[in-house]
Amino acid sequence: MRRLGIALIASVALAGCVQTRQYADVEFAPPQGNYKLLVMRPDVTVGSVTTGGLVEPRADWTETARTKLLAAIRAQQAERGGNVLILDRRDSLPGVDPDTIAELERLHYAVGSSIALHRYSGAYLPTKRGKGLDWTLGEDAVALGRRTGYDYALFLHAEDSFASTGRVGLQVLGIAGCFVGFCAPNIGGGGQFAYASLVDLRTGEVVWFNVLQAGSQIAGIKMGDIRTDAGAAQMVDRLLDRMKPGREVRRRQKAAQ
Amino acid sequence: MSELSRRTMLGGSGVLALSLTTGIAQARILPKDMVPLIGPGYRAVDQDEKGLWQQMERVEEEVAGSNLLIKDPRLTAYLGDLIGRVGGPAAKDMRIYLARIPEFNAVMFPTGFAVVFSGLLLRMRNEAQLAGVIAHESAHFLRKHQLRQWRDMRRKTDIFSFLAMGAGVAGGAAGVYAGDLVQLAQLGTILSLLKYNRTLEAEADAMGVRLLAEAGYDPTGMSETWQQLIAERDLSAKYRRKKRERDFSLFSTHPAPESRMADLRISAAEAKVPGRRYDDFRDRYLAALAPIRPTLLDDQVKLNDPGASQYVIETLARDGWNGLLRFYEGETWRLRNSQKQHDELRAAQGYAAAILYPDAPADAWRWHGIMLMKQGRPVEARAAFARYLQMAPNAPDAPFVRQMMAG
Repeated sequence: MRRLGIALIASVALAGCVQTRQYADVEFAPPQGNYKLLVMRPDVTVGSVTTGGLVEPRADWTETARTKLLAAIRAQQAERGGNVLILDRRDSLPGVDPDTIAELERLHYAVGSSIALHRYSGAYLPTKRGKGLDWTLGEDAVALGRRTGYDYALFLHAEDSFASTGRVGLQVLGIAGCFVGFCAPNIGGGGQFAYASLVDLRTGEVVWFNVLQAGSQIAGIKMGDIRTDAGAAQMVDRLLDRMKPGREVRRRQKAAQ
Repeated sequence: MSELSRRTMLGGSGVLALSLTTGIAQARILPKDMVPLIGPGYRAVDQDEKGLWQQMERVEEEVAGSNLLIKDPRLTAYLGDLIGRVGGPAAKDMRIYLARIPEFNAVMFPTGFAVVFSGLLLRMRNEAQLAGVIAHESAHFLRKHQLRQWRDMRRKTDIFSFLAMGAGVAGGAAGVYAGDLVQLAQLGTILSLLKYNRTLEAEADAMGVRLLAEAGYDPTGMSETWQQLIAERDLSAKYRRKKRERDFSLFSTHPAPESRMADLRISAAEAKVPGRRYDDFRDRYLAALAPIRPTLLDDQVKLNDPGASQYVIETLARDGWNGLLRFYEGETWRLRNSQKQHDELRAAQGYAAAILYPDAPADAWRWHGIMLMKQGRPVEARAAFARYLQMAPNAPDAPFVRQMMAG
């Protein structure tokens, strides 16, 4: 019995985790002072995990989370001193038509998928080795910057999900099974996934990229909740607040010390 | 064997029995039973449906802004009219987008917008056939198919998860390995989900026939569409020295084309009211499609699927050959370019036939000229090039063609 308890605790300790992994352009310096930042319309989805493990999108939760996240970004950026405009719709940037914004979002989606594949999913490219983050949105992004006077654009994607009562029940059964020799202590269900991507609108380059994963393998234990003010602020903090400078910048900082 | 393991054995054989019954062909769904489940101006009601709709609104935003769409206002208005005629109570609520994808397909989304692929328009011989496909897609919306499918999947995966966990725990308590039974139950669940999908497709076919007949279209158009598609796929496979792919019926999402065709034919006869006139509106269809037909044919032949291209062209030519069809017949062989099967000669014959029609495109004259040149008939070739330049004086290759004429 005692051995089982240890095994359970170990699985709990391993199962619940929050991790981020960021990459930056070698010459990236986190924006400071009087910069102008454009936050593109955040792509938010919140759902409920069914007993069988499917994620069922919830309209009301998604709306709440979107509102809370926008407020959290505003608060976080206000602390940093940046001049921020958050686009809650594609047509909320004065003087720029929504199709231009849509095109840029789609372009970023393609580039972001490439970053995910070649930086995060293991399909590393020899040509990008040692180059930090080496992707660009090109002229379209520069044109937007020139036209609007913004220095940076931030693209955000956030997913959150919560185990339904049925899923939690199934988890309880799985843990109970451990006492008769059929152990399913971590069936999973619920958790967060988010990424943020910062584009320098003066060069068009993607200068910083961060992926956040937070969740537990035990259905019913959550590591955050973006439907609440505190949870949304926590996600923004985990995702955006610890921007590391690029490798060359860090090297120079170290040499100067 | 202990009491518990005998129970799991029984459960397992129950699942096995379930998986066997899914293989039995079901009775045809009757058009008269297919009543719409929604009225005009329908909006999402339940929580799961609202979540689905919210996601789909984003999808529609992306679809509506896609650069794959053909945005010819007259053509989109024409398609809008069609869905207005066969859309039942939701006729005014549905939207239709035409995507430039050279494949036979159309998709309905849960919020009532449909995407029609351009390859579908190419293959339809008349408006009744096209309206039949649109009626089938409308039926998916009117019978709330996507929502019912989601609920079916949720329910069955819920049940499976609890049973699997229960079997594991019970097996653990009794000291029996239940993994094999759980895998069997998993297969049963998957088969049952696929069967439900096939049932919904059959519903959409039956209701499509009904909507089509009610709008005054000849409902036999739907079974003709399937007949054409089967024959096209057979020929396409034959040219590639293959057999048409047939899914094992237990594992497919749609009923087999042959059984759909047969059911549609019976349903069509049933849906017709004696004494009423049904039309296929072919002339109206040809007029609406005329501006994009060259593009549609061009996209098709460039797939380099000569069996399919030949079938499509010959099917359209059943209503009469013309310069456009003859030209693309030539293009099909020129692009296949098989020496053994004398494709160059066949292409040349296609172009030579095309220019006999008044509607031959400029490119038919150009290729006719090139083929004549290759055959060592420069005088006739020059005449063909002259005609080409007269029809397309600003063509990008015009200076090049002039050079060939001089040389």
